[in-house]
Amino acid sequence: MTSPKLNSVVTEAPAGRGLFGRLPPLTRYILVRFGVSILLIFGVTLVTFVLTNLVPANPAAAALGERASSDPAAVEAFRKAQGLDKPAYVQYFVYLGHLLQGNLGVSTQTHNPVSQDLAVAFPATAELALFVIVFSIIIGLGLGTWAALRQNRFSDQLFRVFSLIGISIPTFWLALAVFFIFFYQLHWAPGAGRLDPAVTAPPTVTGMYTIDSLIAGEWSTFWNALSHLILPGLVLILYTVGLLVRFSRSAVLDVLNQEYVLAARAKGLSSAAVIFRYTLRGASLPILTIVGLAFGSLLSGTVLTEQVFGWGGIGQYAYKAATTLDLPAVMGVGLIVGVVYILTNFIIDVIYGVIDPRVRVQ
Amino acid sequence: MLKTGQRIAGVIAIGISTVLIVSACTPSGSSSSSSSSTKTLVVDNSFDLKTSDPARAFEFTGSIVDRVLYDTALTFNGSDVTKPVSSITSYKENADNTVLTLTMNGKHTFSDGTPVTADDVVWSLKRVQAIAGNPSFLLQGVAVAKTSANTITLTSTTPNPALPFILPNPSLGILNSKLLEKHGGTDTKADQAEAYLNSTSAGSGPYILKSYSVTTKVVFALNPHYTGPAPAFGNVVLENVAAPTQKINVQAGQSQVALDLNADQVAGIGGNTTTIKGTSPDVIYSWFNQNATVGAGVTNNQDFLKAVRQGIDYAKIESLTGAGSTQPGGLIPSQFLGALKSDPSNKYDLNAAKAALAASGYHGQSMSFAYPNDFNIAGLQFQTLAEAIQSQLKAVGINMTLFPMPISTFLDAYRAAKLQAGIVYWGPDFPDPSDYLVFNPGQDLGLRAGWVAGADPTVTAAANAASAAVGPTDRATAYQSWQTAANASGPFLPIVQPGQYVVTAKSITHLELNPVWTVDLAEIK
Repeated sequence: MTSPKLNSVVTEAPAGRGLFGRLPPLTRYILVRFGVSILLIFGVTLVTFVLTNLVPANPAAAALGERASSDPAAVEAFRKAQGLDKPAYVQYFVYLGHLLQGNLGVSTQTHNPVSQDLAVAFPATAELALFVIVFSIIIGLGLGTWAALRQNRFSDQLFRVFSLIGISIPTFWLALAVFFIFFYQLHWAPGAGRLDPAVTAPPTVTGMYTIDSLIAGEWSTFWNALSHLILPGLVLILYTVGLLVRFSRSAVLDVLNQEYVLAARAKGLSSAAVIFRYTLRGASLPILTIVGLAFGSLLSGTVLTEQVFGWGGIGQYAYKAATTLDLPAVMGVGLIVGVVYILTNFIIDVIYGVIDPRVRVQ
Repeated sequence: MLKTGQRIAGVIAIGISTVLIVSACTPSGSSSSSSSSTKTLVVDNSFDLKTSDPARAFEFTGSIVDRVLYDTALTFNGSDVTKPVSSITSYKENADNTVLTLTMNGKHTFSDGTPVTADDVVWSLKRVQAIAGNPSFLLQGVAVAKTSANTITLTSTTPNPALPFILPNPSLGILNSKLLEKHGGTDTKADQAEAYLNSTSAGSGPYILKSYSVTTKVVFALNPHYTGPAPAFGNVVLENVAAPTQKINVQAGQSQVALDLNADQVAGIGGNTTTIKGTSPDVIYSWFNQNATVGAGVTNNQDFLKAVRQGIDYAKIESLTGAGSTQPGGLIPSQFLGALKSDPSNKYDLNAAKAALAASGYHGQSMSFAYPNDFNIAGLQFQTLAEAIQSQLKAVGINMTLFPMPISTFLDAYRAAKLQAGIVYWGPDFPDPSDYLVFNPGQDLGLRAGWVAGADPTVTAAANAASAAVGPTDRATAYQSWQTAANASGPFLPIVQPGQYVVTAKSITHLELNPVWTVDLAEIK
């Protein structure tokens, strides 16, 4: 039953005597969080390497064809090329050494450097994730707040049912249904892929077709890329909005009963002021947490949606890598996903520190 | 509040509808104009693409890609893989099939306008051998040499009647050696031309590479210097699309060809589409380990194997695998020279199966039956087949424990001959019966079933006779005899060749399936 207002007067923790201790609390907080993130990324490299190497299968057999895998010379050449002929700990240090130079190895499936594959796949997923998260925050936060303010009334019940449906429907089924209805039956939206088959991708700057086409001044390509975001975006928005509605409703309801909100109302502040200056600010921490997790999840690839819509993002790449035992690609994706989550959490932590003094003091 | 809730729901619905309608008004780029040079063909395929470098590619999608980029020394017409015909060269074999002489026809030109020479042919074939990639085995034991400005000889240490059937493989496409040598290409293992070939093609085929992605799509444009008949489409987009999406795409007219639909998906597809049905050259077979330890006295018992062969209801299996599927008489697919139409050893007879089981001394031990559970062939799940066989053999009195595994784990265990029994498939490397001699005692596939050299002299003698046979008629007879012998006492049981389906838009008037390259994009009309 404490409130940010009451706690904001708490004395800040005593600073240390060194340079670090003389830094402002927020800067110290950010530096500590950054250091922790670096350690976590190191941990991710270790975990992905160990887990990948625990797979009880032979990557040479998976990568080479039926005939070549029966040829000891071909198998040995593959193992040597992939560094699999060295002890595991040596492989790990070699991997780390290469990693520091931005070298994630060469994919056994695409024959490209993994970093090159990820540089193509990640922007595709990021473009979709950004599209989804922006709309999801606007819609999810709005509906969740509205539902909380109208607790147990019709609109609240309606939005709760809506959010439950969004969370519960299997993504693969929903993706196919949306694709079938809006593309095949109604012809309202384009089909699979990031562009129509005959449309050429814009010159690569960011790898996100909408942005790259704008940079290149290719308006028709921009509209084409934007229209292709709609159906996969809709599928993912339905799920993400469902999630955000539930969490934001719950968070707002918790805050609505706080004394400082009641006091604000008692002072005669307008409803808008109470909601935006007090209620949403108080509810922002749990909402930020779930937004961060949702965004991290979207960025790390939505396998089934990408598969149905032929999106060519991290999800599709990860699926192919896992099923073909493409170890460098699996480790590359593992690392990217880990870094995405760590960075997302780092940013959320920093925002926590900015909006809630209690966090940076602790 | 009821009105407020409805208002909000209405606003959301209107918003979503507006976005969709706006997108519907956005011009689409998938349509094609009437001029053949600008017409675009869109083909959907579930990619297994790794590279477009022919010397390194040996996947289904890679073959489709390389088929139209690179002409080969010899080729096949349409779907007929029983007669190799001239392409860049014509051919002549010596009497004992040890020397194949290729003669340049002098008509082919690379996409940069330079003529294809005998040096290019020799360089390209030697490069395949030197790289030691997946397709290198195709030319194992073959010495390639230029003997004149227009002739090349391929000399094998042992009779190699399969060579004319091997040369049409897209992995043996002929490359522009002078161009590639400027971009890291060599005919040694130091070759570095793969990255170049994944961005620019260097062949004499009907198309050139316009853009290339192993995950999304490959785009082809006409080769301006192609000397053969012009393809019907000026541009071809081969895009990576999952099977369920392929179905909707072709129904909606987004694509003109869907390559990966299964029997269930094509059933009643209707609409503005045509379904081309064929028989897959992939043979789904079961194996039963002959190693005494792994077989545990069950699968290495001849009477037990007889009970299994006669206890499977092949007609019911065919009904599971869709129209066009067939039970091969032996391991050689029905389309190939030497195929066996049927064999009494592999005929369903429940009473005979029960009698054989009784004679085997089997007393209800569970047999482990392995299969890849994350892999399908022509849309057919091995799980479905394994369950059907389990049910049918239960009626005979055989207890099976299903042992599903991911394909990567499965292959490892299978190749190590650690599995007691199971079901998997074999796709042809080239359309010649000699490709199936690996299913013999002491050979690669035989060893996976614990069938070591010397384990079955009768089958080995039949295999040797088949290998030595010369001429189509004698070869066909010898290979049939080998399969009959293998069915009588071997550990392999050919189950079914599944149906194969391609769905096209009605506007497509010509498309032929081919066991080697699946489909020739340049021949689609």
